[in-house]
Amino acid sequence: MQHRFVGTGDPVEVNLVKEGGAWTYEGQRLEQYGERLKVTLADGSVHLAHAAKTGDVWWVHLNGHTFRWERMEAGASTKAKDGGLTAPMPGKVLEVFVEVGQTVIAGEALMVLEAMKMEHRIVATSDGLVTAVHFKANDQVSQGAPLLSIEEIN
Amino acid sequence: MCINVLVANRGEIACRVLRACKEAGLGTVAVCAANDEGSLFTELADRVVMLQGDTIATTYLDQTQIIEAARSSGATAIHPGFGFLSERADFARAVADAGLIWIGPSPEAIEKMGDKMTARQTMRAAGVPVIPGEEVEEIDETAALEALRLAAERVGYPLLLKASSGGGGKGMRAVNDPADFEQAALGARREAVAAFGDGRIYIERLLSGSKHIEIQVLADAHGRTVHLGERECSVQRRHQKVFEEAPGPTMTPALREAMGSAAVAAAKAVNYVGAGTVEFLLATSGEFFFLEMNTRIQVEHPVTELVTGVDIVREQLRIAGGEAMSCGDLLIRGHAIEVRLYAEDAANGFLPAVGPLLVFRPPEGPGIRLDTGVREGDDVTPNYDPMLAKLIVWAPSRHEALQKMRRALDEFVVLGTTTNIRFLRELCDVPAVISGTTTTTTIDDEWPNGWSPATNEDLVAASLLTASAAESLGLHQRTKAGASSEAGEAPSPFQTITRRFP
Repeated sequence: MQHRFVGTGDPVEVNLVKEGGAWTYEGQRLEQYGERLKVTLADGSVHLAHAAKTGDVWWVHLNGHTFRWERMEAGASTKAKDGGLTAPMPGKVLEVFVEVGQTVIAGEALMVLEAMKMEHRIVATSDGLVTAVHFKANDQVSQGAPLLSIEEIN
Repeated sequence: MCINVLVANRGEIACRVLRACKEAGLGTVAVCAANDEGSLFTELADRVVMLQGDTIATTYLDQTQIIEAARSSGATAIHPGFGFLSERADFARAVADAGLIWIGPSPEAIEKMGDKMTARQTMRAAGVPVIPGEEVEEIDETAALEALRLAAERVGYPLLLKASSGGGGKGMRAVNDPADFEQAALGARREAVAAFGDGRIYIERLLSGSKHIEIQVLADAHGRTVHLGERECSVQRRHQKVFEEAPGPTMTPALREAMGSAAVAAAKAVNYVGAGTVEFLLATSGEFFFLEMNTRIQVEHPVTELVTGVDIVREQLRIAGGEAMSCGDLLIRGHAIEVRLYAEDAANGFLPAVGPLLVFRPPEGPGIRLDTGVREGDDVTPNYDPMLAKLIVWAPSRHEALQKMRRALDEFVVLGTTTNIRFLRELCDVPAVISGTTTTTTIDDEWPNGWSPATNEDLVAASLLTASAAESLGLHQRTKAGASSEAGEAPSPFQTITRRFP
């Protein structure tokens, strides 16, 4: 059985193999017993795994580490990467420092958001030209909302 | 006398105070904004009064509404917790004027300490050393900026800009380069105005490599003022504490005595009554400087409770009732460490995170205490501070306390919302933390380019295996089927949210 997940990097294809009562992948082993999931790592250590799903995201806790894997339908393309900068979390725009047509350098402050009573600075990730500014001061933004678009200059 | 305590707060600290009141046999009232309805703290109170309003300013900061809630619910005393109205002298005064008991120090003491600039002046007069720096009184923005700029030149760089009404890192900026000064000052002012309604800023020399040491004090109305030893809270990110311990790992009996005496002198200088904390910076030179006094219960009070055996909140209740404090001579036993669990993305500049707590499974076992205001099934929203819980451990020695903390953090399962648990766990392995030589810049020194989790390929592969197998096994559909078989009945909260396994 095949699954596709994306974490913080490139999407990963997982080809699950079922052997007897266990699932395996890349030398790791998982067994279901009763209500629980037991994982045996390649080094032989055994751990109880916790998993929970919300939306398309599987959260997994294993041996003190927590992982977040977004499940992608097989064949779905990876999300297009544009030069847009998105709101890291819901909040309010306090100030916008740039205008359409302005050139910016990597690290330059573009916007200040306020969330949870703290200020967060949105900075340019590369040198570029501002092609769109989607919000003005005092606007509310939701998590993931594109804030500005920047066309990269090489 | 029948005392009913209204707790003018929410979340974790409301739970802590409500439980202490219950233990003391006092009646309890919680106040609750609409977006907190159903929160854990509301279930711990005898009565709940809903606050009308959509913002913090019109709910937990609305003095009139809270005092009216006390009147209508028959409360006779108000405990403010920390944050919100806890250090507002005008509120303390309004509470007293309404004929209610204020569980905290007098409005005069709050005023003198709460305004950081006045506090510096009071401490100087009382002979308590303060950090070199300057206060700027101008209110008008242009005049204030100009005065600040001139003061900054006299104080010298690097420096710290601090809001006179500040706290919790809000309205605070470190400035290393004069070129960054104006933007930093504007940002600090704006944050201070938004958070405290007061944009006045003062400047302190930035003493890098210093330790943050604070002394817990207790004073009753019978003339007794004592200190309960120190807490070390040097490990901070963005000026917010994340790792606190008692006793201080490098503390000596002589220094404890000197700092304790200074803290008691500071409290006495403002006729302090109640529980409070005097914060000091301990410079690399061995000199210590008064930072500020927090005239309220503090987030990290549990570490002191665990090593001294004093229940600080119970003492607050006792002192407010006019009784003498019950604690005897200071006796420090073993070692306690607290870490603050935040819903935040430590790998992404510690940005606050939101989401459901699909699984919230704290560690258990001897020597472990959890102070929290959430439980499994709750949602983490952007409405309030992202602190989820405080995990506190006690062990006979510091070495064993760190071992226990590592084990406890490894066992702590939170799924559905990004937390800083792994960051805290790795913090326990940082050499400066192991040796107890942490400073306020330890996190930046250890991870100059930001933190990202250390993982290994096997664990990553095993997590993918777990997610894939869980998907293939249809574990996420398990509870949907369960819920539909009981159609017609109100779904249990444990079923409606249980897309979780096990």
